[in-house]
Amino acid sequence: MYPLASLLIIGSSAFTIIHSQEWKPTEDYAVKFTSDDPSGVFRGLKGTIKFDEKDLANSKFDVTIDVATINTGNGMKNTHAKSDKWFDAEKYPVIKFTSSSIAAAGAGYEAKGTMEMHGVKKDFVMPFTFQKSADGGVFNSSFDINRLDYNVNTAEPAHGAAVVKVELSVPVTK
Amino acid sequence: MFKRIFYWGISAGVASAVAALIYNRVYFFITEANFSKLVNVSTLIGANLLACMLAAILYWVCLKWLPKKGELLFNFLFAILSFASIILPIAIHLPLDIQFPELFPGLTIPMHFFPALAWHTLRPFFTK
Repeated sequence: MYPLASLLIIGSSAFTIIHSQEWKPTEDYAVKFTSDDPSGVFRGLKGTIKFDEKDLANSKFDVTIDVATINTGNGMKNTHAKSDKWFDAEKYPVIKFTSSSIAAAGAGYEAKGTMEMHGVKKDFVMPFTFQKSADGGVFNSSFDINRLDYNVNTAEPAHGAAVVKVELSVPVTK
Repeated sequence: MFKRIFYWGISAGVASAVAALIYNRVYFFITEANFSKLVNVSTLIGANLLACMLAAILYWVCLKWLPKKGELLFNFLFAILSFASIILPIAIHLPLDIQFPELFPGLTIPMHFFPALAWHTLRPFFTK
């Protein structure tokens, strides 16, 4: 009886598929952008966050943020940012990042993939760190992004900063 | 004269603050936009009292400087300054954790005219 049970356990373990842990963002996430002018936040983070430090090959980010949630702290600027002159939130309602590979880099990781904004898709490398806790963790990332690369108000390249610093802090739970 | 103008300023400040507090509550019930971090009981009372006391000082200075045309000058200045001050809520950058900043001017712009409104409403009690 015992040898048979042992065989079954060993046999089934040979076909076990390891799935990367899927994480759910908590509500206190922050997607901030800063520059000389403007600075602000986005809300509406949605998508799939699969990440396992021990299984980077099966880790994947497929996330969007809602363009219409932009908040610069000034109502007039928010309206302009959502208009067709800038992000055109009606036509391009989300900013999307989809990773194709995730690899360790220095003290953290790098997610290579595609950033889609304002209808323009570009290859993008997002550096990030992950601090694991007992029942979750926090993803942190900081990078620069140039709005002109995504045809965001190319008619006025000097109107506000072209390059903004984006800082992400996404606490997650299982 | 200064004592009369001082009480006029205080009374107008209180009346203006009461109107602002009522409007603040009405606006919250209509929009459910919460700006209490910036616009609350203490800031409304303080701002309205300050505005009306500054108006009182300006009124006193105008009357001292131009006894005959001082009131006319004061009325123009009060109206122009009240109108010009609406640039503040339009241009302000609110803390980023406050949602719906586009509704902030709708709350605060009318309030910028409450001190002048209260001042002129109470005029019959403080003029001969």
